Amino acid sequence: MTAAVDALTPDTPDAPDSTGPEPAEKKSSRFTFRTLTSGSVLGALPFFAFVAAFLIIPIIANLIRAFQDPAGRFSVATMAEAVGPTYRQAFWLTTQLSLLTAVIGGVLGVILAWALVSADGPRWLTSLVSSFSALASQSGGVQLAFAFFAMLGTQGMVTGWIESIAPGAMAEFSITGFLGVTIVYLYFQVPLMAILMLPAMGGVKKAWYEAAASLGASRFQYLRDVAVPVLWPSIIGSLLLLFANAFAAYATAYALAGGSLNLVPIVIGFLISGNVLLNPGLAAALVTWMMIIILAAMGIRFLLTRKSDQWLSN
Amino acid sequence: MIDRPNAPTVSTRTSRSSGGRGGNAATTAIFVVALIFFFLPWIAAAVFGFTRPGEGITAAPLLESLQNPKALPAIRDTLLLTLASTLLMLALLVPTNIFLNLRAPQLAKVAEMLSVLPLVIPAVALVSGVSQFYRAVAPAFINSLWSLVPLYVILSMPLCYRAIDAGVKALDLRTLFAASSSLGAGTWTTLLRVVLPNLRVAMLSAALLSVAMCLAEYAMASLLLHYTFPVFLVEVSNNNPRGIAALSFITIIITWLLLVAISAMSRADRATDTATDKVRKN
Repeated sequence: MTAAVDALTPDTPDAPDSTGPEPAEKKSSRFTFRTLTSGSVLGALPFFAFVAAFLIIPIIANLIRAFQDPAGRFSVATMAEAVGPTYRQAFWLTTQLSLLTAVIGGVLGVILAWALVSADGPRWLTSLVSSFSALASQSGGVQLAFAFFAMLGTQGMVTGWIESIAPGAMAEFSITGFLGVTIVYLYFQVPLMAILMLPAMGGVKKAWYEAAASLGASRFQYLRDVAVPVLWPSIIGSLLLLFANAFAAYATAYALAGGSLNLVPIVIGFLISGNVLLNPGLAAALVTWMMIIILAAMGIRFLLTRKSDQWLSN
Repeated sequence: MIDRPNAPTVSTRTSRSSGGRGGNAATTAIFVVALIFFFLPWIAAAVFGFTRPGEGITAAPLLESLQNPKALPAIRDTLLLTLASTLLMLALLVPTNIFLNLRAPQLAKVAEMLSVLPLVIPAVALVSGVSQFYRAVAPAFINSLWSLVPLYVILSMPLCYRAIDAGVKALDLRTLFAASSSLGAGTWTTLLRVVLPNLRVAMLSAALLSVAMCLAEYAMASLLLHYTFPVFLVEVSNNNPRGIAALSFITIIITWLLLVAISAMSRADRATDTATDKVRKN
């Protein structure tokens, strides 16, 4: 469910920026920060104190620790060690897993989203699929890992089916390996992509196709020159979110592979829970690098969705 | 959030005419494949968990996993954590949200931005920061099971804050307060008898989201060395894989039902709103 909660990121960046800072500022222009009374600050205090104590301060403490040597002096040695030869492999493997699940999940998710916006069939089927896409996109976590053990593990149901059709076909496959984890991640990445793309693909108007067709465009030309150019910021933005989602996921990967898969979140987990006694700042440095990567992905996504919101809002 | 994807679907599904039969068969095929993909792991979990070679359908693996002496304490602690986190979430977010929307809208923007921050901060990162800081400042806090309560509130805040915020924004608080005080009610009477009853759907949605999240949270509990239900699942999975598959199946069904309840509730709420609007117009 941790990944599941990450999975909900979709709504967030869109909704606040789509309303945009400009109209909000206009509406509340009579409430500038100067008009704040001490009473209104006091009422807001519990919430801000809570967020500071359990979110902001821990993150800052983590950041400070990442830039200290064991004696407490400022140093970039720990940050350098975190991307040094010992841990570089973990970053590379996590990047590969995140890229692979983002791209495959992205392609399949766009196909699913296309089917959802253009279905002519019975309405109950469409809403059933879109409801279960929403549920599946949030179903990462340890339970998902065990369901996939039951499906594709050595005694799994589907493993048995495949073995009975093509004996030996599953001999090389392991659900705890890189390929297995990729398949499990796709369980939430594909529906997440579909849900992220639905608003944008629903915003592509039929009149645009009619207008292009009346000017003599073929279906392919319409896709190449109209639909894809309008949708690409949403597509790239959603892929970045899928990438960040896979990069941060811990519970699913750990329940599946335990320590056998060298992923950044799992390495950080080992360092935090004290299974490895090394430089105590190392976990902090790895976390800092991980957050730099995730924040970069989300930052680019933020810029891209602003652009596509402008295009699709008219 | 669950019903949101339906909105564009419903509004655009009639807007297509070209494509015809071929497109229809293609979309139906995609839907069938998608539904198989969504359900197959859980069907496999149910089949694997509720059968045993030579015994046919049996609940024995499930019962065995529950007979583990660690099972019931883990389930009890998870339920207590869920209850405490949900109550703290409501106690923190509902008054703050009403207050900010009423008295300090400029701070409400800041609070909204802060509330979505946990989405870009992985659970592993938050745990790392929390253990860096509190192990130095208050080690007893981090060693207590209840240290998970504020962390779970932070984790569920992006979703819960938005659920409550949407409910509060849908009310015209100033008018409610003006109307209520013209009838002689004080601030507290208005809050308790006018505002809170109008927020019950938003509060219930937020509570269910928090419950769904707390029941399944694994990363923080295991990394801070607390023994909750998901941690129990992972620890026992090697000894009794069938029992754990059965438990996974049951918990995911409970989670899905909670989330479906939210979307049904908000839909029912919208339906009553439109119904009362119609009555008003007549």
